[in-house]
Amino acid sequence: MERWAEEHLRYLLLAPAVLVLLALTVFPTVYMFTVAFQKFNPADPSASAFIGFANFARLLVDDKFHNALFNTLFFTTVSVAAEFALGLGFALLVDKHLRRANFIKTVLLIPMMLPPIAVAITWKLLYQPQFGVLNDILIRLGLEPLLWTSSVDTAMASIILVDIWEWTPFIFLMILAGLAGLPDEPYEAAELDGASAWQKFRDLTWPFLRPVITITVLLRVMDAFRLFDQVYILTRGGPASVTETLSYYIYKVAFRFFDTGYAAAISLFMLALTVVFSMWFIKRMRLED
Amino acid sequence: MSTPPATSEATRRAPIPGRTRQKAKAALIAAVIVFALVYTVFPVLWLLINSFKTRLDMFAIPPIWLVTSPTLENYYQTFVERAYLTYMANSLIVAVATTVASLVIGTMAGYALARFDYPGRMKFHLSFWILSTRMMPPIVTIVPLYLFFATLDLLNTKTALAIAYTGFNLPFVIWMMKGYFAEIPRDLEESAMVDGDTRLGALIRIVLPLAKPGMVATAIFCLILSWNELLFALIITETTSANTLPIGIAGRITQYKVEWGEISAAGFAACVPIIIFAFVVQRHLVRGLSFGAVKG
Amino acid sequence: MKLLGKVLAGAVFAAGFTGAALAADLTIAVPNGSEGDGLRAAAADYAKKTGLSIDIVQAPYSNLFEKAANAGATRSGAYDLVLMDDPWLPFFAENGYLEELGPYFRATGTDGPDSDFLAKSVALCRNPYNTGKYVCLPYVGNAQMFFYNPKVFRDHGLEGAPDTWDKVFKVMEDITKRGKRRYYGYVLRGQEGNPVVANFMPVFWSFGGRMFDAKGAPQVNDAAGLKGLEFFLELKRISPPGAESFNADELGTYLLQGAAASSINWPAWVATFEDPKQSRVVGQMSYAPIPSGTKLGSSEIGHWLVGIMKASKHKQAAFDFMIWATSPAQIRISAKRGNPPVRFSIFTDPAFTSQKQFRHYPVLMQAIMNSTPRPRHPKWPEIENAFGVELSKAVAGRLGAKEALDRANRAIEKIIAR
Repeated sequence: MERWAEEHLRYLLLAPAVLVLLALTVFPTVYMFTVAFQKFNPADPSASAFIGFANFARLLVDDKFHNALFNTLFFTTVSVAAEFALGLGFALLVDKHLRRANFIKTVLLIPMMLPPIAVAITWKLLYQPQFGVLNDILIRLGLEPLLWTSSVDTAMASIILVDIWEWTPFIFLMILAGLAGLPDEPYEAAELDGASAWQKFRDLTWPFLRPVITITVLLRVMDAFRLFDQVYILTRGGPASVTETLSYYIYKVAFRFFDTGYAAAISLFMLALTVVFSMWFIKRMRLED
Repeated sequence: MSTPPATSEATRRAPIPGRTRQKAKAALIAAVIVFALVYTVFPVLWLLINSFKTRLDMFAIPPIWLVTSPTLENYYQTFVERAYLTYMANSLIVAVATTVASLVIGTMAGYALARFDYPGRMKFHLSFWILSTRMMPPIVTIVPLYLFFATLDLLNTKTALAIAYTGFNLPFVIWMMKGYFAEIPRDLEESAMVDGDTRLGALIRIVLPLAKPGMVATAIFCLILSWNELLFALIITETTSANTLPIGIAGRITQYKVEWGEISAAGFAACVPIIIFAFVVQRHLVRGLSFGAVKG
Repeated sequence: MKLLGKVLAGAVFAAGFTGAALAADLTIAVPNGSEGDGLRAAAADYAKKTGLSIDIVQAPYSNLFEKAANAGATRSGAYDLVLMDDPWLPFFAENGYLEELGPYFRATGTDGPDSDFLAKSVALCRNPYNTGKYVCLPYVGNAQMFFYNPKVFRDHGLEGAPDTWDKVFKVMEDITKRGKRRYYGYVLRGQEGNPVVANFMPVFWSFGGRMFDAKGAPQVNDAAGLKGLEFFLELKRISPPGAESFNADELGTYLLQGAAASSINWPAWVATFEDPKQSRVVGQMSYAPIPSGTKLGSSEIGHWLVGIMKASKHKQAAFDFMIWATSPAQIRISAKRGNPPVRFSIFTDPAFTSQKQFRHYPVLMQAIMNSTPRPRHPKWPEIENAFGVELSKAVAGRLGAKEALDRANRAIEKIIAR
């Protein structure tokens, strides 16, 4: 028995994880695939009709879908880019100058650990046009108050700001951890060779950090792409659908317009997009296994 | 940075700019750090301050910065009138359960992927599939998961939540631990096996203790994710016996109004354990994530 | 010994997992908020009285709808009773999720609810509306009212009652102009979906707008409807900036802080207005029926109704509870808890109307009697959402009034055709 287990260890160790993931994802995936080809009636599933690719064809002409797709891509790009720049910058700074400042490091980590709903209601309060503190600060500085999430022009930027506040710490943490694992000798050698700070970063730090950065940015992109909570609490996709992300649109289609089939089609599209991006990104960062 | 002047000649020639530049740089860095701290802490502080205000003061024009007439009513309502402690207990039980399960299952899988070879391109495809389970937009998984748990008669149980959260956590745990194990030299197990140990035994006795920092770090992430999750908790749970903290917070939003005082109190109360936890584990977090350098 | 410890630990741990799969004598699904709290408290009293075990499932508004719709579609019997928002009723009734109450009433020797219930309240509980079989009983009697500050209105030229939009608009416009961005005459809510539609319907109806024509086709974009939306956009002009994202909570807050002088809102707010810990305008607010345009002003009715799910396994017990909870004595207690009653006797009881926080009862009762229900179409939730998307865009200035109504009409046609 032990012999058999030893010989098949490579599969036995992997099996529980695969089983759990299969159990939890196979049903939703199958459900999504079958429903996407139907005009699904959630109130009376037996009355659903098979309609082939009609749901997918609708993706091409549905301007609300295009709006949601654009919003989501815009949000993801801007948020993750900003979070990466800030997270990297702070990680480099803290690693160089504040390595032992545990208190500061901890405080900077807190936003990503808080319940998203608590974060959302806090920012909803801050963003209130008439009663919120942010506008009070602006007025005291002699500036014009903003409408934040209440205006078509500033709503998306407001959502992005909340996301940056909440998730920069994640990138900060991962890169900080990566920096902590860097060996010293290559840097000492480069120092003796008279390398500049930029050269050291480009030739030593960046290649070392590449795996960390890849997985961190990938995780952030995956999560930002699926943004739902903040939109739901702060703006409900408004005003005038400028903050309607794909996840929120799917929610509306499925639970407000009861068109589960179309919702499944959009979800499959999202999934496909994410898979394609991930494969491209991993290859680009030269991280194949 | 700039190499120190090699001769006293150079120092005499340009003493002031060097030192002033260093001072200016230090001041700039300090300013950036202070700004970052304020920017990070302010919203949380605001939530705390609001939790002690009456609705009247929360929406005063112009806004009241500190509390002029503090009240404990919000906390009273949250903890005494509404079963907040029960929600906290539920959240804690589910968080611990899913962390234990994710860690056990995920570490085994991570080790396997780090150490063994598999036929063909199975390893890459498997790794990618594991990561891809995290790519599904959660909205679509709501109805199928509801049906899944309903069939198993597990609706409205903490067990169902723990299972669902394990599904979320596993991909992260597996990828982290895989990277971690890849950093631990194979020789340690090899020499143990040469001495007659089984691979499983070597794993448990030799490798795992070395992997502890990584396991601690991933455990922290699992705990946090479970503590904060809202969507699936709303779908799977029904009554107070299974409701978790985020539901307790969301419950203060009603059809006609938002109970701002109570929701601030509930929101901040949910943050307190996390903040304390953050200070306790911060060291482990950085250490645990770095030793494996989180390679793919 | 160590093994025993491990087993014990495991058992304790497992015990923490014995979830209550809903197995109580009665399971009632209610929304978050004072109506849900009210029924929950009533259920607790009933449980004490009868010794039954009653589980309460309390969920956010939209989540409650999803849960109940799910339970209905899967025939799970998870809930015995559901406290529904009245516009949900056609959806639940037409899909066959609710139990008909006729046989239960006849078993007690009556035809249906007694005559102390307001006519409009009970009409909601029949499917088809007002003529069909009873499928629920009313529990909370909500209808919109016009909340305003009479002193401020008088100071800006109001004479008599605020009975027509024309009269009232002049006053409100003046207030906003003189308020210099600190004080507004009116607050409107423009958030997409139910918020903007609920706020628009009274205006729409008071200009003669109708959702559907006699044949059941949508006609929101006819001349009357257009006039209604144009006036609504005028109201937006004098409202605080950001109104395109407001919901009921912002409406209440502006009035509570004395930053606005009037708005259309729900009676649930009255108690808050009279609470010194939440309101700067205690005793200063008055409540009036919706002003008239070309037609008599009509508020949107929004009752909460309690019904039995068809898949329930405890229907008789559920019926007994329902009858008890809507009895005069229990409705009286519910009213004291802040939920407007549905019974004539309590609306007119001097013991209530003499108190400050219930002084709006006569107006509310009148509002209910003159109210209009939302169209009783089983696809109303979808229709309201489609309508709300276009209205919200108009309020945000993204679409013109005519274009918004045309698009809304087309969208509604498509929904009905499916």
